[in-house]
Amino acid sequence: MSAQAPSAGPVTATGTARGNIHGQAIAITVFSTIKWWGKPFLPVLFAATKRVPKLTTTLVQLSFIHFARWSVITELPYNGPPQKKQKWRYPHMYFESNFNGGWEEYIDAFSHILTSGMTAFWGSSYGFPKPLPTAPFKAYIQNNETEASHYYSAYPDATTTMINGALDIDRKFAPLKRSAEGMDPDAFAAAWERFLTDSQHAL
Amino acid sequence: MSDPNRNGQAYGFQAMTPIQPGMEDDLRAHLEGMHAEGSPFAKLARTHMARFVIVPDFYNDRSWGQKEEHLDLQYLIFTSNLDGDIDSYLDELCDVVAPDAQEIWGRCVGCPADASGTALKKYLKHNQIDCGFFYAAYGDATVGKVQAALAQREKVIAFASRTQGLDPAELQQAFVAEFGGK
Repeated sequence: MSAQAPSAGPVTATGTARGNIHGQAIAITVFSTIKWWGKPFLPVLFAATKRVPKLTTTLVQLSFIHFARWSVITELPYNGPPQKKQKWRYPHMYFESNFNGGWEEYIDAFSHILTSGMTAFWGSSYGFPKPLPTAPFKAYIQNNETEASHYYSAYPDATTTMINGALDIDRKFAPLKRSAEGMDPDAFAAAWERFLTDSQHAL
Repeated sequence: MSDPNRNGQAYGFQAMTPIQPGMEDDLRAHLEGMHAEGSPFAKLARTHMARFVIVPDFYNDRSWGQKEEHLDLQYLIFTSNLDGDIDSYLDELCDVVAPDAQEIWGRCVGCPADASGTALKKYLKHNQIDCGFFYAAYGDATVGKVQAALAQREKVIAFASRTQGLDPAELQQAFVAEFGGK
């Protein structure tokens, strides 16, 4: 099947600078300065989060994130002058997310649903005001955020929910496609009805 | 030890390169002039989402109890969320994106004079920053798979709407005509 752009729904990407938006997709890019104990703590947290799928369940439930990443940077590769060989006083955490929906709603959802996770990930950052109430936390993110100069999505009109739904449909649709031609018409009609019922959430 | 930049078949690449002093405005103008619809990443079929960000400095707030710390230069961040292995992706990028690459990394410290091919790839890998934690909501699905699934979803929705009220034999015939029998 040839790839076509899905029909665009209402554009929900709001609340951020123009450079951070492509279609429904929003980029967020945040640096934060880490206290000394974040340097040993965060790699352990990242490893545990990766190895224990249960810890990412809430992230999955926040079904508007396409891709996200956290990195702890302690030094930068040296490329020769005029770059200086810098020994940083602090480690710094890089965070980026690719999501759909409004910026305000994204931070709200993160703060309310992922409260303990947010505290774990940003608790070692200077100035982190706790996720709740959300107003100081939003101000903190805004202060540390940098607008993208160029942002690209291969499927700008699609939300994460649409994509996961489409992939779910694809899994359920394949057996029906394979067997459709050889079925009795009444059996096919029943199978089609079942498929629609099972896929209702994704259509 | 598993690759920290991988989630399923998806790979999270990041490079952070110092910008030549005095070149920041030209670089920003070039990047902002590349509209998403004409993005060089559109030529790289394995790119899900990518960005360029110019970081002028760290944010400092003395009321937070930290001492001030500043970047020595402004830095260009390039990140991409891509399919498959990074080596072949960078090979493609350094070939397909070469005209833009000269305008982008050609303004960064240490970039080879000819910002393309293996020299550019080596430069980007030298400046790579590993992810601590990389999350992908559908890390097993390639760009092609996502786009095809979205297109199929649209077709299914249209078909379901169009065929309401058909009898079973007509419905089956229409289905086979639309989606094939196999």
